[in-house]
Amino acid sequence: MRQVAVTGLGAVTALGADVAALAAGLADGRSPLGPLTRFVHGGRCQLAAEVPELAPPAAAFGALRTATIRRLSRPDRLALITIEQALREAGLKPPELAGAGLFVGATVGGMGETEEAYRRHRAGEDRRYRLSRLLGTPLSTSASAAAQAFGIYGPRATFSTACSSSALAIAEAAAAVASATVPAAIAVGTDALCRITFAGFDALQTLDPQGCRPFDRDRAGLTLGEGAAALVLEDIEHARARGARVIARVLGHATTTDAHHVTAPDPEGQAALGALRGALDAAALPPEAVDYVNAHGTGTRQNDEAEVRVLRAVFGDRLPRIPVSSTKAQLGHCLGAAGAVEAVVTVLALDGSLLPATATLREPDPAWSDLDLVPAAGRRQPLEVALTSSYGFGGHNVTLVLGRGV
Amino acid sequence: MTGDVLVTGIGVVSGFGLGVDAFWDGLVAARDACVPAGIPEAPDARVARVEGLEARRWVRSAQGRRIDRTSLLALAAARLALDDAGTAPEALQSSRTALALGSAFGNVQETAAFLDRIFDRGTGNPMLFPNLVMNAPLSYAAIELGTTGPSAMVTEQDASGEAAIAWGARQVAAGGADVCLAGAADELATELLTIGRETRTASDAEPCVGEGAAVLVLESAARARERAARCYARLVPHAGFGVAAPVHGWPAEPSELARGLAPLVADVSLIVAAASGEPVLDELEAEVLALALAGRRAALTAPRRAIGRFGAGGALAVAAAALAIRHGMVPPIMGWPAARTRGLDVVTGAARPASVRDVLVDGLARGGVCRPLRLEAA
Repeated sequence: MRQVAVTGLGAVTALGADVAALAAGLADGRSPLGPLTRFVHGGRCQLAAEVPELAPPAAAFGALRTATIRRLSRPDRLALITIEQALREAGLKPPELAGAGLFVGATVGGMGETEEAYRRHRAGEDRRYRLSRLLGTPLSTSASAAAQAFGIYGPRATFSTACSSSALAIAEAAAAVASATVPAAIAVGTDALCRITFAGFDALQTLDPQGCRPFDRDRAGLTLGEGAAALVLEDIEHARARGARVIARVLGHATTTDAHHVTAPDPEGQAALGALRGALDAAALPPEAVDYVNAHGTGTRQNDEAEVRVLRAVFGDRLPRIPVSSTKAQLGHCLGAAGAVEAVVTVLALDGSLLPATATLREPDPAWSDLDLVPAAGRRQPLEVALTSSYGFGGHNVTLVLGRGV
Repeated sequence: MTGDVLVTGIGVVSGFGLGVDAFWDGLVAARDACVPAGIPEAPDARVARVEGLEARRWVRSAQGRRIDRTSLLALAAARLALDDAGTAPEALQSSRTALALGSAFGNVQETAAFLDRIFDRGTGNPMLFPNLVMNAPLSYAAIELGTTGPSAMVTEQDASGEAAIAWGARQVAAGGADVCLAGAADELATELLTIGRETRTASDAEPCVGEGAAVLVLESAARARERAARCYARLVPHAGFGVAAPVHGWPAEPSELARGLAPLVADVSLIVAAASGEPVLDELEAEVLALALAGRRAALTAPRRAIGRFGAGGALAVAAAALAIRHGMVPPIMGWPAARTRGLDVVTGAARPASVRDVLVDGLARGGVCRPLRLEAA
């Protein structure tokens, strides 16, 4: 098996248009949450972690036809922007990209655009509305657009396991590199806010109108976010041979399924525990090796409770000494993009010796007042190994173990 | 990749009915599952619907009572596949059983209903929302069958089935699971009929849109041997590749696809194609296979013309490939003039008895994706 290096990062989040803005925001702990502006929502929650309008990805758009660009959805554009950033940092060029893998995690694709077209059609504002616009642009369009824009013609797949979609995409990219199927692979997560997810989560009463407070005593739900993140994964020898910097390493990953409930996590967290232990086993590391946990930490009562139970089962009495934080407090829950966004956050933590904060935490739940949840702002601390877990709606768990670059 | 992956069970629900026998008998008898749609939105449309799919036959859990049609198609195929493999769900070791499902569009009908309520009343329906996520079929199947191993919902347009099956096979081959239920499902939504209507030209034949699902029981050779399982075929997944193409369409130029497929068709006796009756695809695929085969003879067939075209149709193509090996029979395709004019050995008219040892499912999809799978007599 080959070692898997991370050689490029890209991110567009509510904290800013690139990885540098994300890193700066994580360090100062500021909250970018604000009023929902992308569409009118009639429910009780009006708060979101929106990405502001961005400059188009120049290189990607230069390679696509105008008619194609016009049909791209917001998640497609976000994906192209972050891939462009990640490829620039990695320094991978078209000949090397032709054989690279491309693995995308997403949940909504062009749904936001479809909703707006459907609304206009219903309101009589658009008689030429065509449903084929939706059905001709399925969820896999981001992958198709990225493949054609950057000339990435190796293995390609799009995964959709709700909130763990892009963590699964990273696991697949890492597996393709480790097994020598490809020398390099790009893993991407991308999702945008849309009416269906906003109204759906609000109807399930899982949104906190005051903004999410992961691990807080008064936590009352999640805040929806949007964004995209991309990671270039590469055979470490391939990276070294071309003089690329190894920002971090993917040491292990595992995926399991709750088989418990279509919306709620298994309160016992048995399968989530299996993913965490499986990822450490795959990395051939004991729990003692872990210096930081980037939690799924949605801020719902059920998730945080089940997640702490899993962490206690794995780390036992040592857990209070391992910093655990949820960056959803700042970034919102980016759904299909969350796994990739949080993997980038975890890589930044390892590379910059910076523990990201659980920024909105005021009073930890008494059940875990013994834990180091990194309240308020980021904290400097050298880290060697960190893990990030993603638990998808419907019971799809993925844990990634990441190591500092060498 | 380490161990062999065997196909030990097949479940199919299609326009031919429920079960693998109904599917195979329909294909071999050269029947056409497509009938007039009978809907005002598309007066001349033809469809291949799955009839008689009652939730109560397939759903056991209380949660499953609200299952959507795409998820139900997948669940029915999964239960049929386990029956066919002679394995009860209870006999599976839950953490060693993986689940891989594909879908091109997911739940279209309930998504439209959910949006109508948002626009009419300003709020979403909490009972419907869990069904709208793309991974709903995966979640329902895991709950119903109690599988807790690795799981993935894979979407890759027309090759969603092949992509999901390849992912599942890799879990078994790499030792992450002993068994994987792998396949794909797509429902027929009235909305889907409009695609063909909006894009075709007047001279094109009216396309038939179908629905259905196929799920395979993929099993490690060791486990299959241990329980003396009946085996259809060995499955050899390919990682797949891409070629330059329009983001939303088919490549204009066949040579890159042909170059990628040439080594994979070099020794097969049968190719199960994507050919769905869509003129652009049928022309392109015929040209690609003619170039890839370079004069070599291999029989060609495809089930999509008989059962309608839909994203998950590739999973049914894989099922057809495994059945061709098992039965020593190549079912016919209902015409593929573009391939015949290029001198390819298209099996038409009646099914052809043949010793089928190696088959390639070519896995072509829009956007320049190719997800081929190879099946071999085990």
